[in-house]
Amino acid sequence: MADLRAALGPDRARAEPLELALYQRDAGVDRGQAAAVCFPGTVDQLAAAVGIAAWHDRPFVARGSGTGLAGGATPVGDPLVIVTTGLNRIVEVDADERVAWVEPGVLNLDLSRAVHHLGLHYAPDPSSQQACTIGGNVATNAGGPHCLAAGVTAAHVLAVEVVLADGSVAMLGGLEPDAPGYDLRGCFVGSEGTMGVSGRIAVRLTPNPPAVRTLLLDFSTIEAAAATVSGIIAAGIVPAALEMMDAEITRAVEDFVGAGYPRDAAAVLLVELDGLPAGVEAQVEAVRRVGHEHGARTVRVAADDAERALLWKGRKSAFGAIARIAPDYYLHDAVVPRTKLVDVLRQVYAIAAEYDLTMMNVFHAGDGNLHPLIVFDQRTPGVWERVHAAGDAILRACVDAGGVLSGEHGIGLEKRDAMPLVFTPDDLDAQARLRDAFDPSGRANPEKILPSGSRCGELQRVPAGAWI
Amino acid sequence: MSLLSVLTLDENELVACVACGLCLPHCPTYRVTGLEAASPRGRIAAMQAVQFGDAPLDATFERYMEECVQCRGCEAACPSSVPFGHLMEGARGVLHEQRRSERRWRRRLAEWLGYRLVLPRHRLLLALTWLLLVAQRLHLVPRRLGLPRLSVRSLARRLRVPAGDAPDAYLFTGCVMDAWQRDTHRAAIRVMAATGARPGLPRGGADCCGALHVHAGREEEARRLARRVIAALPGTAPVVVDSAGCAAAMKDYGRLLDTDEARTFATRVRDFSEWLARQPPPAVRADGGRVVVQDPCHLRHVQHADGAVREVLGRAYELAETDDDGLCCGAGGAYNALQPALATQIRDRKVEAIRRAAGDGRPRVASANPGCAMHLAAAGLDVRHPADLLAEALE
Repeated sequence: MADLRAALGPDRARAEPLELALYQRDAGVDRGQAAAVCFPGTVDQLAAAVGIAAWHDRPFVARGSGTGLAGGATPVGDPLVIVTTGLNRIVEVDADERVAWVEPGVLNLDLSRAVHHLGLHYAPDPSSQQACTIGGNVATNAGGPHCLAAGVTAAHVLAVEVVLADGSVAMLGGLEPDAPGYDLRGCFVGSEGTMGVSGRIAVRLTPNPPAVRTLLLDFSTIEAAAATVSGIIAAGIVPAALEMMDAEITRAVEDFVGAGYPRDAAAVLLVELDGLPAGVEAQVEAVRRVGHEHGARTVRVAADDAERALLWKGRKSAFGAIARIAPDYYLHDAVVPRTKLVDVLRQVYAIAAEYDLTMMNVFHAGDGNLHPLIVFDQRTPGVWERVHAAGDAILRACVDAGGVLSGEHGIGLEKRDAMPLVFTPDDLDAQARLRDAFDPSGRANPEKILPSGSRCGELQRVPAGAWI
Repeated sequence: MSLLSVLTLDENELVACVACGLCLPHCPTYRVTGLEAASPRGRIAAMQAVQFGDAPLDATFERYMEECVQCRGCEAACPSSVPFGHLMEGARGVLHEQRRSERRWRRRLAEWLGYRLVLPRHRLLLALTWLLLVAQRLHLVPRRLGLPRLSVRSLARRLRVPAGDAPDAYLFTGCVMDAWQRDTHRAAIRVMAATGARPGLPRGGADCCGALHVHAGREEEARRLARRVIAALPGTAPVVVDSAGCAAAMKDYGRLLDTDEARTFATRVRDFSEWLARQPPPAVRADGGRVVVQDPCHLRHVQHADGAVREVLGRAYELAETDDDGLCCGAGGAYNALQPALATQIRDRKVEAIRRAAGDGRPRVASANPGCAMHLAAAGLDVRHPADLLAEALE
């Protein structure tokens, strides 16, 4: 603490028990305990804080806004928590090159707003975009509704100044289109703080589309909605966003926003189309036709920007609106092939019924990225066991259908122990070695992503008495 | 610390936060500090820690609670509609009861003078205002306090309304606003009369609405003041309030007093613009120029009357909007006096947003709450109440 206070200033490092209690968790469910928390105000201070952790051989966990959904910012191993919210300057915007250099604590939506007058925006738009930081987005390789057409965070990060676990700083990637050598930038994006902490980040800015239309389709069965998703893609349309919400979640968000979401629908689809005006109008008609062919009850086209904004506000508030039903949620993030959507959804609801749990679904249907939410009240005795068992069953169903564990939230702490479902011991060992190459000390956000025992040496214990 | 030092907030309200973090950017103190402890989510986590016995109710907890402006921007942003304002008022109430004895004597004296002695006694407040006026003339009152230039003419003249017993609508006059910004009341009465309605004034006893007391956790005192306000405004006529903070508190009298009479009274309370938007529009000149609209938090987040302000002002002025989602200005009732450092940082953000919205020249700002107006005026802005602006534009 003395070193931190000396390096950062007396107000920028704290260890009062109540202060630490506020950094026990992110927006996921797992809690941990920090040894201290610090708030660097410059990238130099950030590097200094990491260096001090190294000097004292102490683990460290970087944290932005704490909106992560997989426990990635949960402090494990009595670490120093390094909060990046004070690093919130947009350093430079080059409108011609469409590049911005930002500090890691800049909020995602603040960046888009700051460049709006230049006709540009930052494309990845996680539901938490008003609150989450770019640094956190880089760590989780965040997605968002509009990543269906635009691609996830990795496609929009050109270079990252990384503070490595020993406190040294390295620049990964660059502004040139195709840098020679290994793509270490690509390796760092999505590493969830296990390879170091983002300093300044160069992000790609995207021109605002000339025309945007948002459609709301409602269905009396989930199957019809899912079939429409496949139908839209099969018709050769790649919407800017293609989102689905089931009955319960639709009612919950409607209670909050009052956007006119149909309360009696079994499922709704939110489809956004953008591009040149004539092309967009043709796509609107095509989506309307596909919807009606698959039994859509109504197809509503948002009349203006205000109505569009309200519909999106509803969709992006979905997780936060859960407490209208129960105070806790456990969220999965699995991705399944689009063609298996109907089948997997059916299984997911069956699993919920089997474990007597309330299940909702709100997800990026266009890319098959499910967000099944189990809602519960942790004050109910024995509910945790059921929640975890159902969660495992859901993951297994998704993996059996050819899916993966996480589309955008990351693995963090919550999904870590499910990694062997999709990776062989050799795969895990290779990943552990890659991680070790960045952080040989293992102090950068320990115990995240890779389950213990991922390294070969840990896995294959030599039986006693064996000859080696 | 005694064993009684525990929080007793509504447990269901307290666990309704899923910690999603969508409130963070809408919290003025989080925006300027980036600290979890200065955010709605962090404050709720602290309340949970104290209530469930994981942390003591100590000075650290007290500081976290007192750094909150109580703007309730988080409440409007919360998808689960966690009643943050209610939780915060509850926490303040417990702090008021259990921590009072540990506060410095100067603070206790100031609180006693303000909440107990002066605010409930309007005549005393007016007498002190005369002293303040003299001090202002002697240049003893620093400008940075944002106190408007008090005028002998304004203070010496009573408010006048047409004679008669049963008005079409009351204008609630309140405490500080009647003492320091009485001209705004005059403007409100002129505009109300211009709609063809007959405005009336409260009988004696409506000295103070008690909003500041509720925010400070002094609910018992607030209840006493609220009963007097209700008694001073009999009948069924709407109660028009030109202070957003007061109107928000008076609309909550039903919860505060928990009586049918209070609930009925609360339905009669209207913000000035909210009432005006439903009346026949008075004739105004439509060439008033550009005005930046600043939404007082308790107008926008609590009363949801921000649309009405735009509707009535838009008849006479070209309106400009700030790009900060209606983030608080940092005034917060007595907040700018209690937390000057944070209040100033928050105001700096707001002033920047207002300047961006105004473009060239010195912006004129419309604000429907006396506290915000004074706080922003202290930063050198030209701040006017919508009633003042509309009275100026009357044909």
